[in-house]
Amino acid sequence: MLSTKINKYTSMTAINLQNQLAYIWDTLNRSLFILFIMFIFVQLWAAVYGDGGSPDREIAGLTFVNVIWYLLIAETMELGKARHDLAISEEVKDGSIAYRLVRPYNYLVYHFFHNLGETLVRMGLVFLLGLPIVLYYAGLPQIDWWIIPPVVLIMAGGMLLDFFTLSIIGLLAFVTEDIGSFRLIYQKLVFVLGGLMFPLDFLPNWLQGIARSLPFQLTTYAPARLFVRFEWSLFVDFLGMQLLWLAILGVILWLQYRWAVQRLAINGG
Amino acid sequence: MNAIEVNGLEKNFQLKKKTPGLRGSFRSLFRPQIEEITAVSDVSFSLKEGEMLAFIGPNGAGKSTTIKMLTGILFPTAGEATVLGFTPWKERRLMAYHIGSVFGQKPQLWYHLPAADTFQLFARIYELDDAAFKKQRDFLVEAFQIGHLLHIPVRKLSLGQRMKCEIAASLLHRPRIIFLDEPTIGLDVVAKQQIRRAIRALNEEDNTTIFLTSHDAGDIESLCKRVIIINHGRMIFDNRTSILKRQYLTKKVIDVRFGERLDSPFHLPHVETLKQGTYGVKLEFDAQAVSVEQVIQQIMNTRPFNDINVQDPPLEDVIREIYQNGHEP
Repeated sequence: MLSTKINKYTSMTAINLQNQLAYIWDTLNRSLFILFIMFIFVQLWAAVYGDGGSPDREIAGLTFVNVIWYLLIAETMELGKARHDLAISEEVKDGSIAYRLVRPYNYLVYHFFHNLGETLVRMGLVFLLGLPIVLYYAGLPQIDWWIIPPVVLIMAGGMLLDFFTLSIIGLLAFVTEDIGSFRLIYQKLVFVLGGLMFPLDFLPNWLQGIARSLPFQLTTYAPARLFVRFEWSLFVDFLGMQLLWLAILGVILWLQYRWAVQRLAINGG
Repeated sequence: MNAIEVNGLEKNFQLKKKTPGLRGSFRSLFRPQIEEITAVSDVSFSLKEGEMLAFIGPNGAGKSTTIKMLTGILFPTAGEATVLGFTPWKERRLMAYHIGSVFGQKPQLWYHLPAADTFQLFARIYELDDAAFKKQRDFLVEAFQIGHLLHIPVRKLSLGQRMKCEIAASLLHRPRIIFLDEPTIGLDVVAKQQIRRAIRALNEEDNTTIFLTSHDAGDIESLCKRVIIINHGRMIFDNRTSILKRQYLTKKVIDVRFGERLDSPFHLPHVETLKQGTYGVKLEFDAQAVSVEQVIQQIMNTRPFNDINVQDPPLEDVIREIYQNGHEP
């Protein structure tokens, strides 16, 4: 019984994986951006650290190698996103949400598993494309391999949190014609307060305080920072924050979804 | 047992209205005018299990809105409905295992993948066991004649081929009721006939209840014994298709193109000439007074023709006639 339920949702992941593979060149093209951005980042931080990336120098506790690996992980999290907020908004606008709602599954859970298929392919591609540049300029990360499972856990929490946020944005299509502006705001907040452009450690103290109390850092900064400098206390902090924000955003999303479904009017008859 | 029971169903939508021009735009920012539109009003009927019902009406009549309430997607403003004993909008997910739906203009198959992949996905979503899935899939492949299409990416299929796969996909879980919203829209004659044949086979094999909306009088005549006509959200006719045909679908329109010039006014007994051009005529006649065959024979006797096309009167005319005759549902 349970296995058929699990099967049901994993098959949604599987079909989107197939779909991505059917269009692998398309997905690949969209992922090529990582090459440019990583190359630019390497040049930029090599200049900041001096001597083409001095190995001994630390800024806010992070070495050049730390920063480069940090950026690869953070970019993988950001560029790997499947952007299902657009899919939701399209479904609301063109009325195809009707087909989703007549099926025996939860609409949001469907999107989550469906999303996962695309996210895994894209994250894999982005990471693999960025990897040679990082290895060439920064070498292997100086980490203990046992930290991978806890980092992956924080990654998963971050992905779920991002899924919640983007779902809330996508469902806004019920009230507003275009969700573009909300996406843009969220994206820019992730850029700066989420630590996508540089680790939050480099921000002035007062701004760091703000950034660390907000959820934006939990998707990008948290896993990337833990990967390059693992600390158990930091892990516990991130996990706690993730659980707290998952609860808050989860309640908002659930209320918003119930409200949206009840006031649903299918566009186009 | 009744498959569908509907009582006083009503659905209102709120529509924001804006007066034209810049001033109107500003005004609607601060004081939006909201108009309530009644899409469906006081619709009541019941449908027995295994029955095939045509639910028809012009654009914007409330057909799709009714289907969407019966499939649980929309919440009604008032009224009650049960579908297979479920209240659709309250027990949508439970009910979903037992109903199928095809929304003609909206695709459900994965565009870049072959239909077989979507079929597999649906088998999982509906939690079918392998044997049941394969049996039903083989039956549908046979009924819709889509064996050769299953492994081609959907984007490469023609509209008719795609629609056959779309409908088959909705039937994999052997639903007890199928809601078909304009399943033959935009299709050619052959594809339409194949789809009708398959739907009929399904009804005969599985006693599947069919709830069909269509603009095509052919769909209705060839499939459904019962018709409900809805206009401006209200039911205006609920009776046997044969009665609709006898009373309202009696007129036929024939377009003929001749191989030579028409020099004199075209006239045939029992046939009205609606329009006459240099090479063609548009004729109307009452199929009860004279048969289609007789009329075509008469035309052939006058002079050779290149093309001939027999049509039913548009639904709008039928509805107008129902109103003129003061027919009550």
